[in-house]
Amino acid sequence: MKKYSLVLFFCLIFLSAHLSAQNVTVNNNLTFGTVFPGIPKTISKTTAGLAAEFYVSGTAGNEVTIDFALPTYMNLGASNMQLIFRETDCAIDTSATPDQSSPEFNNLDPWHTLTYRIGSNGLYIWLGGIIVPGLTQTEGSYSSNIVITVTYTGN
Amino acid sequence: MKISLDKPRVLFVIVLIIGLVTYQSISAQDVSNGTATANVQTALTVVATQDLQFGTVFQGVAKTVANDDAASAGIFTITGSPAAGISAYITLPQYIATASGDDRMNIAFQTSDLSIDTTSNADPSTFGDGWADVDPNNVPNGLVIGSDATSHTMLFLGGRVIPSVDQLAGAYSGNIIVTVAYNGM
Repeated sequence: MKKYSLVLFFCLIFLSAHLSAQNVTVNNNLTFGTVFPGIPKTISKTTAGLAAEFYVSGTAGNEVTIDFALPTYMNLGASNMQLIFRETDCAIDTSATPDQSSPEFNNLDPWHTLTYRIGSNGLYIWLGGIIVPGLTQTEGSYSSNIVITVTYTGN
Repeated sequence: MKISLDKPRVLFVIVLIIGLVTYQSISAQDVSNGTATANVQTALTVVATQDLQFGTVFQGVAKTVANDDAASAGIFTITGSPAAGISAYITLPQYIATASGDDRMNIAFQTSDLSIDTTSNADPSTFGDGWADVDPNNVPNGLVIGSDATSHTMLFLGGRVIPSVDQLAGAYSGNIIVTVAYNGM
């Protein structure tokens, strides 16, 4: 009985250390605000409060892959508006003092898998983009989903 | 072969299985949904509400229409998102012509022939607020739609025709083209 309890104890310790291996949350949505027909608008990944911000929590040192499922349009009913993510529109900071205005890893491609290790203060991801409204773009509020998947690699 | 199923062993196996399953399901992957949002404003339009009309003109006698002439000044209505910044450009003719094109008449625009009213006022004779008596060939920067939160800005245009002494009788016309665009301000 003693032996089993000891093994069980270490199993639980091991599991508890890994149960929170990573968790991703949305701190801020990508917000274009007011947009005028015919005038493209860019939100930089380094613009706090407007760029999308995701936070990955977990055990420091764990390696994770980050994959985005990015939309190419924003929608309002049947109306579409082109949404562009360039290959430099993403940034990541895993440092102890994350800085969106000067991120540790800048100009990353959100269309490809990103692999980084969670830092002592987690891992911050920022994403910017461009929308291109048409000259006769229907008035109203447009939106689309940005799906982020974070996977623990085991490394 | 006999397998002993004593309580501690069963408990251990159950906990181990639950632990491993939980570990796999929790630590393997996490997905989150962010959103991109934008609020598109009203599309910009410009409509020629009233033509610039010189009416009856006599050979050799120039005629002027002031930009505050309610009955004859050209009126353009620009509609868009209130308080939004716009840029405007007016392409003005140098002459007006008969429909057949067999004669032309000079038309001139002075540097004070345009008034831009950013209130809801649509009457050239009762100018509200904006830019009065400016150059239609050089529309000022900083235009906005509706300084008083209305969605209209009006252009009032005057001009002058100069018929020659041997001008052919008949109706003359020419195009005045107003181009407007949001400037994102």
